Amino acid sequence: MAQLIEFPVKAATRAGNALAQPLRAAWPTHSVDDYGRDPHLIGALAPFAKLRWSVTVGGAHQLPTNTGALLVCNSRRYSLSAIYAALALGEETERPVRFVGRPDIAPIGSFMRRIGGLLATPADVLNALSHHELVLVAAEGTSHPRNAGKVPHELVGPAVVAGVAVFPVATMSSTIGRAARVEVGPAVRARRKRRGPLAEVELADQVQHHLQRMLDGFGGVQTGVAPIDWLAEG
Amino acid sequence: MGGELGSLVAAKLEAEPWVGALVGVDVDPPRRRLRKAEFHLLQPSQRERIVDVVTKFNPHVVINLSVWEPDARAGLAHARQFTADAATAIIGAAAECPALEGMVVRSGIEVYGRERNSATRPTESAPMHPTSEYGLMLANVERQAREVGKRVGIAVGELRLAPVLGKHVPSPLGRLLRQPVVPFSLFADSPFAVIEDGDAARAFVLAALRRLNEPVNIVAPGAITTLQAIMRGRRVPLPMVGPEWSIASRLSHVFGAPIPDHVVELMHRGRLADGAKALDVLGFSPALSTPEVIDHLYAWESVVRIGSIQEAVA
Repeated sequence: MAQLIEFPVKAATRAGNALAQPLRAAWPTHSVDDYGRDPHLIGALAPFAKLRWSVTVGGAHQLPTNTGALLVCNSRRYSLSAIYAALALGEETERPVRFVGRPDIAPIGSFMRRIGGLLATPADVLNALSHHELVLVAAEGTSHPRNAGKVPHELVGPAVVAGVAVFPVATMSSTIGRAARVEVGPAVRARRKRRGPLAEVELADQVQHHLQRMLDGFGGVQTGVAPIDWLAEG
Repeated sequence: MGGELGSLVAAKLEAEPWVGALVGVDVDPPRRRLRKAEFHLLQPSQRERIVDVVTKFNPHVVINLSVWEPDARAGLAHARQFTADAATAIIGAAAECPALEGMVVRSGIEVYGRERNSATRPTESAPMHPTSEYGLMLANVERQAREVGKRVGIAVGELRLAPVLGKHVPSPLGRLLRQPVVPFSLFADSPFAVIEDGDAARAFVLAALRRLNEPVNIVAPGAITTLQAIMRGRRVPLPMVGPEWSIASRLSHVFGAPIPDHVVELMHRGRLADGAKALDVLGFSPALSTPEVIDHLYAWESVVRIGSIQEAVA
């Protein structure tokens, strides 16, 4: 007579449950949204982010409360300005702010998706904007903290298509200190109505111009010792 | 009409006042009691018989659900062959029906593929770049249906379903998630969306009613990662880093839950899609969100004792 050997399902499940119970208790099992952002993970990482950045946010009241908007920030190289600005604005507005520019390679890409990263493609930006999300795009990185780099017009295009407002967001952080500042400016309106792709190119230029003006308004640290000023500016 | 989804669609169509007569073809008999529908037990390879049945009936609408997901009811080679045979026979036969006004075909969000830098939540306008065998099969079905639609001048709607899960739906993903020990990608653990079989069936009925003439994503709202699904189902998570996936998939095959490439892709790269158009075009919104579908999947009892049913009835 053949014997039926059964896999000890109940025993395995019991053992597994005993092992996984601490993890299950600590982590909710439905915490990702439609784009893969995990608010619970962001909440858990917030204390660590605050160890690195102490962000002062200004002008966040100008952002819409229900509709989508494209935010464009300046970026000093290696400053991760898009990430700290998105986290700080998300906390301030109590709305998820998604930053653009995650790589599509695990594990870093997967991790950045969980903290709100989108791919730097017009399709991803348009999709989020048309679903009334706040999306933060970084301008090209610069070596000087108070220079606004070129704003990628191909990522501003989705805002024109979706018909949402574009806000400049000036950021400033220090390479050695924790102090960081995020200032949201008023929405940038296109000077001319264009029917074609010039609309996004001109709007991107205008946003860069606005960003530069805001950064100029920030001023800089003046201790009289140039290297210290440079480091303090970040 | 014999599969779980086909039987559900047939049952829902029977309840519709606009449906006069209903004819179905499948390799398995219907899984539900159908009162109005006429059923023909035919193999996908019996093209002449299928053409004969369809052309004699001369329908106004054809719904082609005959897609075999690899490792759901058949292995990859058979699934590929059955799907191609059925598509040729049914879509070809539909083209010969003079009364035909519209055709709805089953497709899936696997047609978008998950290559590097592909859209996180593709809309229907995203290009099709399937990166799995199942995605290629579905893209072929869509292409065939669209060509026939253009040639004979009928509306062709493609419903791109997220992975269909349900208590009784044969699905490699559903089967894998119900194993006592479930592997997941430790470094990726990407989010995916699914759709419940009842919701998918409702979408087909609406598409047939409205003579849908474009592709539409059918996706339950929300998303979930494999690890979260495992935790919801109170299964044992088995973290995987990379090379051991091939061993895990072979082991899983031995335990009765093969892992085809599109499921591995889902676990590594995620599978989301934008389902907003379904509401605009079909007036369809899923009743269950993705986490609810997963809960529904786990709510299925693996063994139902006949004795206990008799006691309950008595």
